[in-house]
Amino acid sequence: MPNTDTTQAAGVLGAFLRDWRQNIIYIGFIAIFVVFALTLNDRGFLNPNNLLNIIRQTAMIAVMAIAMTFVLSAGEIDLSVGAVAGLASVTVAMAIAVAGPFAGILAGLATGIAIGTFNGWLTTKIGIPSFLTTLAMMGIAKGIAMWISGTSAIPILSQSYAWWFGGGSIGPIPVLLFWILIFGAVGHVVLRRTGFGRRVLATGGGEQAAAYSGINTAKIKFRVLVISSTAAALAGMFYAGRLQSGRFQLGEGDELSVIAAAVLGGTSLFGGKGTVIGTIVGALMIGLINNGLILMGLEFSQQLIARGGIIILAVALSQKKA
Amino acid sequence: MSTVAVRMTGISKNFGGVKALENVNFEVLAGEVHALLGGNGAGKSTILKVLNGVHVPSAGTIEVVGVPLTIHTPEASRAAGIAMNYQEMSLVPTLTVAQNVFLTREAKSGGLIDDKEAERKAAELFAMLGVDVDPRAIVDDLGAGQKQLTEIAKAISQNARILVLDEPSTALAVSDVDRLFTFLRKLKKQGVAIIYVSHRMDEIARIADRATILRDGKHVITADIGDLPIDTMIEHIVGKRSLGLADIERSDAVRGDIGLELRNVSGRNKPDNISLTIHKGEVVGLAGLLGSGRTSLAKLVAGIEPLVSGEIRINDRPVRFRRPGDAIAAGVALVPEARATQGIIASHSVSDNLTLAALDDLSKAGFVIAAKARAATDAQIERLSIKTAGRDHAVSTLSGGNQQKVVIGKWLAVDPDVLVLDEPTAGIDIGSKSEIIRLVRELAASGKAILMISSELSELLTACDRIVVMADGHAYDDFPRAALDDPAEANTDITHRLQAAERRLQIAIQEALAAGQEVSHAQH
Repeated sequence: MPNTDTTQAAGVLGAFLRDWRQNIIYIGFIAIFVVFALTLNDRGFLNPNNLLNIIRQTAMIAVMAIAMTFVLSAGEIDLSVGAVAGLASVTVAMAIAVAGPFAGILAGLATGIAIGTFNGWLTTKIGIPSFLTTLAMMGIAKGIAMWISGTSAIPILSQSYAWWFGGGSIGPIPVLLFWILIFGAVGHVVLRRTGFGRRVLATGGGEQAAAYSGINTAKIKFRVLVISSTAAALAGMFYAGRLQSGRFQLGEGDELSVIAAAVLGGTSLFGGKGTVIGTIVGALMIGLINNGLILMGLEFSQQLIARGGIIILAVALSQKKA
Repeated sequence: MSTVAVRMTGISKNFGGVKALENVNFEVLAGEVHALLGGNGAGKSTILKVLNGVHVPSAGTIEVVGVPLTIHTPEASRAAGIAMNYQEMSLVPTLTVAQNVFLTREAKSGGLIDDKEAERKAAELFAMLGVDVDPRAIVDDLGAGQKQLTEIAKAISQNARILVLDEPSTALAVSDVDRLFTFLRKLKKQGVAIIYVSHRMDEIARIADRATILRDGKHVITADIGDLPIDTMIEHIVGKRSLGLADIERSDAVRGDIGLELRNVSGRNKPDNISLTIHKGEVVGLAGLLGSGRTSLAKLVAGIEPLVSGEIRINDRPVRFRRPGDAIAAGVALVPEARATQGIIASHSVSDNLTLAALDDLSKAGFVIAAKARAATDAQIERLSIKTAGRDHAVSTLSGGNQQKVVIGKWLAVDPDVLVLDEPTAGIDIGSKSEIIRLVRELAASGKAILMISSELSELLTACDRIVVMADGHAYDDFPRAALDDPAEANTDITHRLQAAERRLQIAIQEALAAGQEVSHAQH
């Protein structure tokens, strides 16, 4: 064939251009890091303590965003993650106060599983779109958290719980970093290399085709919503451990950062495309931006505007041009 | 005598009140290629969907290699050894070719999915088929032919005992069809039963051992392919039309000025170098199979697809369309193929749908004037005799025929000079069909130039003054309607005359296909 060379060359070039857009998150992460390192070095940006703080601050977003990657890949959305995190922080703290850390962990996980099951049931059995199900659940979870806590913070006195869930560190390394790595590795392998992950991507990429191929798409959607709520509860447990208390405000508004992290990382809001590694970098990038803007001494109002602008720019660059 | 691979007995399937299948028997032997034939709405896809578990039969039994199939789900049918290609419906666009081929049957190593292994196995399959598809490509990036090959690979990768191929060749190049046939013969020798659906009679004659013909949801005949010359096949497929279309009277069109003229028009892919003139008052039909370029031509005229070369002239003035709005402004209206998604907004009222295209005319300073909109709506409801409980009822509550009238009415409200109708009667009951056809004739008589696409030849023959036969993006014949009448049948009743004309048109389509293939053979 005479034109093999040209098609191959075009293929490599095309793959490079595609990769460029797909990999914008990594390029962007490095670019922002370098800019901050050059401009904010005198304010302690590169100080190891500051860098580890970024990890501490973004671990909860990262854990929720890993689960959100599955939800978005399946073509669904979960807006209740922030509120569920807040509620779980409260149930954990209350259970620890009554029955000790082990009961607390169980209570926290049970909170997530219960809400996820309810979300999944409403979405797949009753047929309410997950956008509405989880929007309503956002209010319900927050309301329950305020109600059972009497809107006050509930202290956690167990030092071992606090060490494991968010507060501790091994040498200089925060325990939260290990949690991110564990969830990241598991999430990545499950999405890329297991039948479940493939079914999630197929369900979001073409629901009819998935069903015709013998996939029970309702079951897949149910499961991703349960996973998402459980991960949100874990994030709430980390908040509780780090701050040694449970309170309903914890996690408030996190859903937006979580979705932004996943989308920045290259996960499609429309389903069928998702990457856990990208999501983690997306979460870290949001943490990086927050940190840098604070070090720059911007006011909160200016931070909000700058952060929004950077996120829009990154997502716009990652769009495939028609 | 070979063993029976599939025995479907007394299968009926009702959708609401519509009988899609009525007491159909269908038997396929191991080691044969069995063609399943029939016109549109004959029940071919319904019976296949019953076989592979997408539809549950209303009555009847299915046996697969002697074992009754009692659970009707896609999983159960697949477990019984039935594999089918679904005309692109079973491919997930965001996954790769290899991932699609082995979806739910992924190759694993150490409990984890091994995509490299899947890619290797997919490459082997494509090598066996002798075709060139990249297993690592994302399905969304593939052309129609490559997607079809992926579908076929997916079906055959299941090592099924019964392989169902529904129109597997529509988007394939001639050489790929040849390779597919070679492969099917191999499978046949291994004792696989193959059910082959196609509208291409020449293909059927080449590959099939036996054929079953369905018509209007009923079994007509099962016979050896040697006993079914092409014209006999066509006769069985066309059959004796039930009432409806035949009683529409034909009268010669009064031809006015030229409404639409195409000069050597080509699209990105199809159509290829089409020239066509439609006078006002005239209905011109496009006949041809799926993939012949009819819909692409319609989209070109309606400004949906870009013109690559050639010239479109409306009312004898050259026009250039960048978007559908340009075509509408120039006086072209398209009644699109997919009524539900492209034609109507189902949850909106009859009134909202009918006025959608004419909102500017009905508005003042941006506000829609309710009285004007009501009057315009009522005028269309009256003119088209749309049966609705009221103008404020949702279009979804209307029957298919009345929904289509709403689409037509939407365009009549802007008074177009050129009306393009793509499959205007798809999914409509026979009574409403003849109503729509009558409407098409009336609209032409009122001075519109009409281009009509239909896969139902009897409809084209009833509605059109001229019929252009298309295949593979080219126009082959341009018949005045009268030229398709059979002089030998001139004195019989109108039903017979229509059938005779339909047979002639069928043959013309098959000839155009053959001519198209010779052309592309010559090019290879």
